[in-house]
Amino acid sequence: MGDSSAQYIHMVQHLIEECIIFNMSKEECMEALSKHANIQPVITSTVWKELEKENKDFFEDYTKNREERESKKEGGQRFHKMHLDSFTKDTNGDDDE
Amino acid sequence: MLAVSPFRSAIDGREGEMENFLIGDGDFLEFSGGNLLDIIDFDDLFVGINDEDVLPDLEMDPEILAEFSASGGEESELNTSVSVEKVEDDSVKEEDNFSGSGSSLKQGEEIVSTRDESVAVNGSPKKADKGRKTSTQAKNTQGKRKVKVDWTPELHRRFVQAVEHLGVDKAVPSRILELMEIDCLTRHNIASHLQKYRSHRKHMLAREAEAASWSQRRRLYGDGATGSGNKRQMSPWLAPTMGFPPMTPIHHFRPLHVWGHPSVDQSLMHKWPKHLPHSPSPPPPPRPPTWPLAPALHPPPPPPSDPSFWHSPHRRVPNCPTPGTACFPPTMAPMRFPTPSVPSIGVPTTPTGQTYSHTPLIDLHPSKESVDAAIGDVLSKPWQPLPLGLKTPSTDSVLVELQQQGISKIPPTCA
Repeated sequence: MGDSSAQYIHMVQHLIEECIIFNMSKEECMEALSKHANIQPVITSTVWKELEKENKDFFEDYTKNREERESKKEGGQRFHKMHLDSFTKDTNGDDDE
Repeated sequence: MLAVSPFRSAIDGREGEMENFLIGDGDFLEFSGGNLLDIIDFDDLFVGINDEDVLPDLEMDPEILAEFSASGGEESELNTSVSVEKVEDDSVKEEDNFSGSGSSLKQGEEIVSTRDESVAVNGSPKKADKGRKTSTQAKNTQGKRKVKVDWTPELHRRFVQAVEHLGVDKAVPSRILELMEIDCLTRHNIASHLQKYRSHRKHMLAREAEAASWSQRRRLYGDGATGSGNKRQMSPWLAPTMGFPPMTPIHHFRPLHVWGHPSVDQSLMHKWPKHLPHSPSPPPPPRPPTWPLAPALHPPPPPPSDPSFWHSPHRRVPNCPTPGTACFPPTMAPMRFPTPSVPSIGVPTTPTGQTYSHTPLIDLHPSKESVDAAIGDVLSKPWQPLPLGLKTPSTDSVLVELQQQGISKIPPTCA
């Protein structure tokens, strides 16, 4: 107890933060930490939840944006490319009447 | 055969040179076409015409003039251009004196149309000289023909320059045309292109706003993390398909200034490797046996196979919330770090912490290797600052929670 626990928790927090940088979800994080750092998923999950409590706004934002991005990232690029393409074609193929 | 003689006297009275106009293929043809031009003094000829709408003195029968135009080729054109005004007036007032009304009108029209042609002939050569950009220029003289404008990158660049000079919202096609100084473009060409340009810009700005908010998120989530290989850009700019040259930046959040060109983010991406030579990776620290997580540790993995964007995992130092300062969060103070591992690697606030000042792109699909490497990094160097610096929950509350889950002790003794 005491120091070592605090250290441990701190380390887990550190690891979770890394996962967040990678835009991972809680579940993904649990899996990664378990796989690469041998941290029990329950511990990861608990620390994540505690972090969430302490940093509510951040996590709200994070979750929301994460979902948005997940859905948008493919569509967005495609849209843009399509738009560019269509613009080029329109502009150059235009007949001036 | 021209019945010219009665006129000759009338004409002679006025201008002696007029008789030169009496062209016929018979007796009166004394001069060839070329000579006629020499003989005729057009200035004198035109004097009277210019002053008045109608030549009162010279009453030339349309009949005669019609025969003029019918008889000669070039000469008649020249002549008819001169005489057109008279003809027009005459044909209005005087009907047809000669063979049938229909034919005279027709001939009157012929004369008029001949005039058009002669004018057109005179006009188009000039324009053709100016026509540079498009081969369709010659057709423009007709006025209402469809002309295809090829918006080449160069042309578009000039267009954009002109527009920006005027201000996008204020840019008026006529002004743009003036600024571009390209004669083969009509105002309408410009107008339609401007419309498209504006609509495109709106789209781009909207996406730019989105991307800017994304980049804020990224910064929030940490600068130090590198995406695996960055196969995917966050930026909406793909490889350009238009190939238009860069525009000057226009009040953008970030220099996403090019219509169709890759954004600056790409250049940022390329910067990464530059940082790496500055921060040579230290030798991997010896595994501290006292570290509580000893069983869990594994040696730092080799750098992933995509070296261009990801070098030593050791150097992937995320930024501190306050870069430049000692990056120790207060909570770390009481911790004791195993000493043997620290000697040369030492100070947590290594300069490497500062090198990542740019905003790297975060791959939305982190590869296993990069995640693994990141985790390994944390495990091996726990003294390093927290990448996000989130507020640490109180140890007690965590422990309480864990106990409720059935975990009484952390680190758990059984791994």
